[in-house]
Amino acid sequence: MKAFTTHFKNSSMTTTADFTNTSSITLKLEQVSKQFGNLTVLENLNLVIEPGTFVAIVGKSGCGKSTLLRLISGLDQPDQGTVFYDGKIHRKLNGHARVMFQEARLLPWLNVVDNVQLGLGKTGKGKALEALNHVGLESRAKDWPSVLSGGQRQRVALARALVHEPRLLLLDEPMGALDALTRIEMQQLVERIWLETGFTAILVTHDISEAVMLADRVILLDGGKIDLDVKVDLPRPRQRDNPNLIKLQEDILRRVLTIPA
Amino acid sequence: MSINWSKLTGRITGWVLPIFLMMIWEIASENGWLFSKILPSPREIVQAAIDLSISGELAKNIVASSERAGWGLLIGGSIGFFLGLVNGLSRTADRFLDTTVQMIRNVPHLALIPLVIIWFGIGEEGKVFLVTLGVFFPIYANTYHGIKTADPQLLEMGRVYGLNHWQLFSQIIFPGALPSILVGLRYSLGLMWLTLIVAETIATTSGIGQMAMNAREFMQTDVVVLAILIYALLGKLADMGVHFLEVRLLQWHSGFRQ
Repeated sequence: MKAFTTHFKNSSMTTTADFTNTSSITLKLEQVSKQFGNLTVLENLNLVIEPGTFVAIVGKSGCGKSTLLRLISGLDQPDQGTVFYDGKIHRKLNGHARVMFQEARLLPWLNVVDNVQLGLGKTGKGKALEALNHVGLESRAKDWPSVLSGGQRQRVALARALVHEPRLLLLDEPMGALDALTRIEMQQLVERIWLETGFTAILVTHDISEAVMLADRVILLDGGKIDLDVKVDLPRPRQRDNPNLIKLQEDILRRVLTIPA
Repeated sequence: MSINWSKLTGRITGWVLPIFLMMIWEIASENGWLFSKILPSPREIVQAAIDLSISGELAKNIVASSERAGWGLLIGGSIGFFLGLVNGLSRTADRFLDTTVQMIRNVPHLALIPLVIIWFGIGEEGKVFLVTLGVFFPIYANTYHGIKTADPQLLEMGRVYGLNHWQLFSQIIFPGALPSILVGLRYSLGLMWLTLIVAETIATTSGIGQMAMNAREFMQTDVVVLAILIYALLGKLADMGVHFLEVRLLQWHSGFRQ
């Protein structure tokens, strides 16, 4: 594993440098711990995420990756330690971060455009339609969520997140429940929008190929600690059959599997 | 020819049996197989309806009954809805009030009739009071249940997306509870007519129930049967009203989409 770290230590973030804008967030976690009862889910975690980067967090079920995302979003509070947004202590939910969940969580009683407009008030219609246009669903604006496919619902959820112009987008396995083809489409869409917009993105996933396809940096969590932190210095758009990418994926996978459960 | 036969037959099918039974009833009455003092013929009932309409008595009684039903539903429904909201949303209120509500619910409200007569006499208030008690609980219980079962995932999403307390309620909790609240309304409407029938046969000076009781005194079975039919009709109308609300308000729900 040393090969990765040394290899990536000196690399600049070539792929994202052009898109790093002032509006994305620098995220810092300092000595963060979280317990549920006697179970320690995260232990003295330190992490700095540069603005505009796309970070993937991978790990086995129960490794604490979703908990980490919830702490970063402000949905939960750490028992010890602090989360900083741009050097300021972050405690509550705020307008800077938006979360995409594994389920689309659309309100079934609102049509698609009203779902995207949620929290924007009456004036947000134009923006909502624009965001829908971005994800290619403007023609479904008046439909009920229940008639959409799973992939379309997640695209609506993505539009709903984008409409707030988040500085930090937290993705909690939003593609986990999609079929293989829809998942690839969704990955491409997320990547394209991230490149256009330049927010800081954190993706929690159990799919390592997804992590290396999308992320600048892959963090492997194990037992509440960072077991591996590698930069993925491959040009975009990435090809799935790129040998470097496949090698990296295999290496990470091997690492995950050798961790005693 | 663009007649949608399957749709047409679908609509008619439900009425075949009632009309057939009516015809048998009429034939049986015409031939004297049914003694008209026991069960009058459909023709006699229609005649009674026409006579009472002309005298204005029918309209007067329907209005009187509907007014009582309406006030009772409005008052009882509002209290039930409001308490359901408060107890569903606030744990403290729930702890404080739920025991009382459950105790009141377990008293059969019709058992209060003697007391109600003593309290209110035979005026309007007593009947409205009974209807209020009757409709209160189904609306309370279903509003409460609807609020309590609000989807925590949607609520969490709402918090992440910056909704305030009022928006969480108006955009997520209330719309989610609406199907349940409308079920409560349906139950309440059934109890509303039931309560009214009993209340009006016991002590009153107007209303459908009183019309039926008067008619019984004079053995006018046609009027008695007419009164029963009017109750059935009013019940059906109320149910159609709720169905209309469901179709309008719950379009998003695949179960109610037309």
